[in-house]
Amino acid sequence: MKYYIKLGLILFVITAIASGILAFLNGKTQPIIEENQVQAQINARLDVLSAAGFFVEDSIKIAKKQDANPLKIQKEVSENWFKYFRGFDADSLLIGYTFVASLYGYSSEVQTMVGVDTNLVVKKIKIISQAETPGLGANCVKEDFQKQFDGKSEKQLAVDKDGGEIESITGATITTRTIANSIKIGLNHLSKSVEIEEVD
Amino acid sequence: MLREFTKGFIKENPVFVMALGLCPTLAVTSSVVNAIGMGLAATFVLVFSNIIISLIKDFIPTKIRIPAYIVVIASFVTIVDMVMHAYLPAIHKSLGLFIPLIVVNCIILGRAEAFASKNNVLKSILDGFGMGFGFTFALVVIGGIREVLGAGQFLGMNVMWTSYKPMLVAILAPGAFIVMGLLMGLMNLKKKK
Amino acid sequence: MNYFTQIFALAIAAIFVQNFVLMKFLGLCPYIGVSKKLDSALGMGMAVIFVMTMASVFTWLIQTYLLIPFRLEYLQTIAFILTIASLVQLVEMIIQKTAPALYKSLGVFLPLITTNCAVLGVAILNVQSEYNFIGAILNGLFAGVGFTLVLVMMAGVRERLDKAEVPPAMKGMPIAMIIAGGMALAFLGFAGLKF
Repeated sequence: MKYYIKLGLILFVITAIASGILAFLNGKTQPIIEENQVQAQINARLDVLSAAGFFVEDSIKIAKKQDANPLKIQKEVSENWFKYFRGFDADSLLIGYTFVASLYGYSSEVQTMVGVDTNLVVKKIKIISQAETPGLGANCVKEDFQKQFDGKSEKQLAVDKDGGEIESITGATITTRTIANSIKIGLNHLSKSVEIEEVD
Repeated sequence: MLREFTKGFIKENPVFVMALGLCPTLAVTSSVVNAIGMGLAATFVLVFSNIIISLIKDFIPTKIRIPAYIVVIASFVTIVDMVMHAYLPAIHKSLGLFIPLIVVNCIILGRAEAFASKNNVLKSILDGFGMGFGFTFALVVIGGIREVLGAGQFLGMNVMWTSYKPMLVAILAPGAFIVMGLLMGLMNLKKKK
Repeated sequence: MNYFTQIFALAIAAIFVQNFVLMKFLGLCPYIGVSKKLDSALGMGMAVIFVMTMASVFTWLIQTYLLIPFRLEYLQTIAFILTIASLVQLVEMIIQKTAPALYKSLGVFLPLITTNCAVLGVAILNVQSEYNFIGAILNGLFAGVGFTLVLVMMAGVRERLDKAEVPPAMKGMPIAMIIAGGMALAFLGFAGLKF
């Protein structure tokens, strides 16, 4: 019995030391990870709306449907906020908006930074996060694919198979459709919020 | 002494000869960048867990040897995970699940058990580097073949003639198995001669 | 009513579309190592299904009631691998005491399972895909079934392979890899299935 207590103690000491070191490192790396993410967003925002000198954050309340899958953890999101940024040029003139469009694709959450002008026509998009199948869906990060979104309005944003103007990636219709739809949803929210502004 | 380092490349190559660590080998080799990232992450874990284990081997009763080693390895894996997430977020993202899974990579526990628990620190370090680089070498070879055939690129640069049509299958899952099988066959052929 | 559809979708995804071995490259060591004989493949498969389901249960509980409330998510890897290792030991002891017949057929495979990355893989994936308790159990179960399916298929092919003329250099592991490649090619056909 004593022997087993000793064994348990040794194992406990090792685990405790390991946890201590990890806790320390976690404290060091966590802020860097978070800062990187913030910085990446800022860079992406400037990339898709390069004419803008500064951005102002804003958001609009939207009704979000609950995730209907009973096998997943239910988050309490009957209402949610759609976040977007207004981009102004050096003379403080509104030149467009940016927002992050995000939907679940084939095997991962695909996040796209979208820049639109004041008429809500896409200026440029940038895929900022995805883990789709290498060789198929992951090709969505390619320049040629992202370019075809430039100059598209909400109506044109659909895969060619669905009657839209976005040419789908070979073997990755789901990924393409996801990106197009996520941007479309974002534009929809944005148009509502812009309407409200004009009424004001 | 040098033998401890060089044996990992060809003669005792963990992937081609001993067929260890197959999961990450096939999963992350769709591009050379990923292959290098995975190889170096595993090398780091291998070297440091070898060091710690050869240092504490005399204090650990044999009965709890394996769980103790696993804790040491898992700690270093978590460290790699955090550091990569902080400084190399792009590679961290594309390696994804396979970073925490370095814990169950048979190469690392295998070397801890077969080498570091029986040898001194210096030898264990050399063994760790040798095996780690051998692993990286194998990953880069497979990743190189798959990326060149499947995307016409090497490290993201076009290397094939302009009219080359990429063999997409090489980058997809089946390509990984087939390239691996052919390479293992090639190694066998060389050994027989 | 939605419940049944979602379970069905999860089963199809875990067994075919996102097959652990052929599409996610998890659990390859036993897939190549224990697929020479049909009997042992079946035994290994059953042991993996059992352990994967149990591991999903316990790692989910630990994640939800220990790691998240105390903000210890960074200890996930250590906590999960220790849980799986002790679970395998425990299961081995219990089976040995209560069902000697079962132990005789599964016993040899149990120690191998601790380092089967499919088990740790399913535990981490359960957390990443935000499954709730039932979802996690089912995912573990179906992933194990998917593993067993391809393992048994592989063993069936390899038993017949003994009678075939394989070039000497390709005997054993290399040809097994090529066969796995063929299977993966076939499973790629499931890729369009999405619910």
